[in-house]
Amino acid sequence: MSTILVVAEHRQNALRPVSFELISAAHGLKKSSDDKVLVAVIGSQSEAYVEALSVNGVDEVVVLKSSVSDFDPDIFEAALSALIESKKPSVVLLPHSVDSMGYAATLASKLRCGFSTDVFIAEYQGDELVATRGGYNQKVNVEVDFPSKSCVLMTIRAGAFKPLEGKASPVVSNFDLPAVQSRSQNKEFIELGGGNDIDITTAEFIMSIGRGVGEETNVEQFRELAETAGATLCCSRPIADAGWLPKSRQVGQSGKTVGACKLYVAMGVSGSIQHMAGMKHVPTIVAVNTDPAASIFTIAKYGIVADIFDIEEELNNQLST
Amino acid sequence: MKMLKSKADLVSKAIKKADIYCAAAVYEIANTNERNDLECLMFSKRRDALSLARWEHTPASVLQALSENVLRNSDIANVDSAILTRIEKNPNTPSLALSQHYKSEKYKKQKLSFIALVAEHQNTPLQILESIARFENDIEGLKSLSRNISANASVLTILVSRIPNIFDKNVAAHPSASANLLELIYARGNAYTRAAIIGHKNCPLCLVESAEQNGDLPLLMLRQLAKDERLSKNTLIKLSSNIDSVVRYGIACNLATPKAVLSSLSHDSSAAVRRAIASRFDLTITSIIVLMKDKDVWVRQWLARNLRVPKKLLEQLAQDKHADVRRAVARNPRCPIVVLDLLAQDESAWVRSAVAYQKKTPRRLMQLLAGDTNIDVLSGVANNHHTPQKILQKLALSAEEDIRRGVIINLNATRKTMLPLLEDSYYLHRLMLIKKPQLNQKDIWRLCDDPDFQVRFMAFRHIAHKLLVNSAQE
Repeated sequence: MSTILVVAEHRQNALRPVSFELISAAHGLKKSSDDKVLVAVIGSQSEAYVEALSVNGVDEVVVLKSSVSDFDPDIFEAALSALIESKKPSVVLLPHSVDSMGYAATLASKLRCGFSTDVFIAEYQGDELVATRGGYNQKVNVEVDFPSKSCVLMTIRAGAFKPLEGKASPVVSNFDLPAVQSRSQNKEFIELGGGNDIDITTAEFIMSIGRGVGEETNVEQFRELAETAGATLCCSRPIADAGWLPKSRQVGQSGKTVGACKLYVAMGVSGSIQHMAGMKHVPTIVAVNTDPAASIFTIAKYGIVADIFDIEEELNNQLST
Repeated sequence: MKMLKSKADLVSKAIKKADIYCAAAVYEIANTNERNDLECLMFSKRRDALSLARWEHTPASVLQALSENVLRNSDIANVDSAILTRIEKNPNTPSLALSQHYKSEKYKKQKLSFIALVAEHQNTPLQILESIARFENDIEGLKSLSRNISANASVLTILVSRIPNIFDKNVAAHPSASANLLELIYARGNAYTRAAIIGHKNCPLCLVESAEQNGDLPLLMLRQLAKDERLSKNTLIKLSSNIDSVVRYGIACNLATPKAVLSSLSHDSSAAVRRAIASRFDLTITSIIVLMKDKDVWVRQWLARNLRVPKKLLEQLAQDKHADVRRAVARNPRCPIVVLDLLAQDESAWVRSAVAYQKKTPRRLMQLLAGDTNIDVLSGVANNHHTPQKILQKLALSAEEDIRRGVIINLNATRKTMLPLLEDSYYLHRLMLIKKPQLNQKDIWRLCDDPDFQVRFMAFRHIAHKLLVNSAQE
């Protein structure tokens, strides 16, 4: 029997959706019905998340009560170090997030675990655990194995696993945190970019506009269209630099990577290397551009050589009738 | 690196660096002997040749040389079609290279599908496009041709006359399709093709008139027809009460629509129609007053951006409970300073950001906004030409790259303000600095040894261009 440990992540008193994706990934790694999926949740109000975490695929929720409500790398590292020593899991799954980046590598090194980041496939090939991640700026997929490692720690890419459906009644246990001196202090939570704006890294359907939009007033047309279509409006760098959309909506090397996106409609985006760095992994890319030689077509699943305003008008017609 | 004065010095420096990108940057200013050396450096390794053939910045002269090099150094059985295909796909490829590919017998025998690439390239000369339309039989190649915006009416006419129907749909949407050609296609087209022709800027009047008189016009065509400014007043009035909201939307956008009809459309049940009315530049005051109270936020947003809205009413819209409406007021070029004063202290950062980007915002407000902590507001301050130089100098050292980029974009930023940015950690910023007129050649020269190949290329190319201009003036 082996144990797979999942570390749930929460921010601003809400569980992050990636926590449920990790549970799904852990469930997929069960080799027999005896294997157990444990979900650890750390925080001053950690018991408040137990009900939400009681979902299919979870065998036990472990509550670790800390003195601080927010993420703290020192506390997380110490808590998980003690928990891993105690429960001896074969696999530990963490979200590939800014929080995990603060302590995952140190934890893996300290416990001499196998380690891989930004994993989007985790599976057993025979008896061997294999993690797949991107390499060379996502140009190739790299398979990583962990010979002779009894415990492997992986950070999992958001959006790579579909959460399981249905509720369950897992065992709930408590685990005492070791005493630890934190070296950091939370002063204020600031959402980067547009303040109250949404987090585009979690958006599944994105409509993105580029230079082809021409003028600022035209941006409004696409904002309207995105709103009607239920898409999150994003943009390439020149649009955000002109102040036409908030910086938090910018996709690419200077902006954000749209990790959870499943459908990306690029309107008038030429497809610079910098922009594509933030979205080329998206499984379904639809590109609209008047220039058939635009680079965006090299990565698009569906390409439309047309005026973006004609397509915008037609989509509006279709959606409004 | 020591500052260079002559073209020969620069070319020699590029050769010494043994860097293909620096070599490509100076190729245009090199003499024949130097070009041989540069070609040897750039093309001797196939991997380098492949990279240059595809790279978006490779100069036309280098692509021409590479194309000739491949055709010259290969026999019929062994032509390097991978390099040639990349050259054909590169938007910088000059017309001469494309003509040579089309005419090259040894290449043609290797790869028939290359015709599609030549046929769709926007630099392909008209005579080659005409030749493809007249003689080629590859349907994919001809489809590419029918979409090529460089094809003129004559090429399109040859194509649809030789092979009817197959390309009609593309030609009906082609901006160069003539009225005669559209009339020909209309006669044999289906409703989709006909709708595209009715919406075409070159659609002949006779087709519009005939559609106007057709009481049983398919909806697709009616929607296009509603936007035509040549429609009679009676038709415009009739269509303004059509059951289909997209038809009414077309009338709301139509510049020929009478004012009385526009007034009645201000009360239309469809928000899309009212939004179209709110964005018109010929709005009447009666319509403005009606639309100010509209429940739809987008209607009020379009109104707030509208240059026809009097300043007094903009002041009212600046009090709207919806932040997007207030932002739209701040982005209106006619927004009064007194309103900008108010909006500079708005609770929404996105509204304050609009004030920071507004060209009219005075210096004193820029000083106030410079104390903001929001990245969008500070990026606006960094962009705005009214921002005092001292503030720009501070923002040039910001930890946020978006804010530093705002300073680079600012046309008013001085050389002194920009100098620290030559050391910026983000390569794109160094790249953007190369074209800034505020910086001199000595400053740009510092980037010739940059660790990023694109920055090196652009720096060498910039200096090469300056030397070329200087020698032409001498």
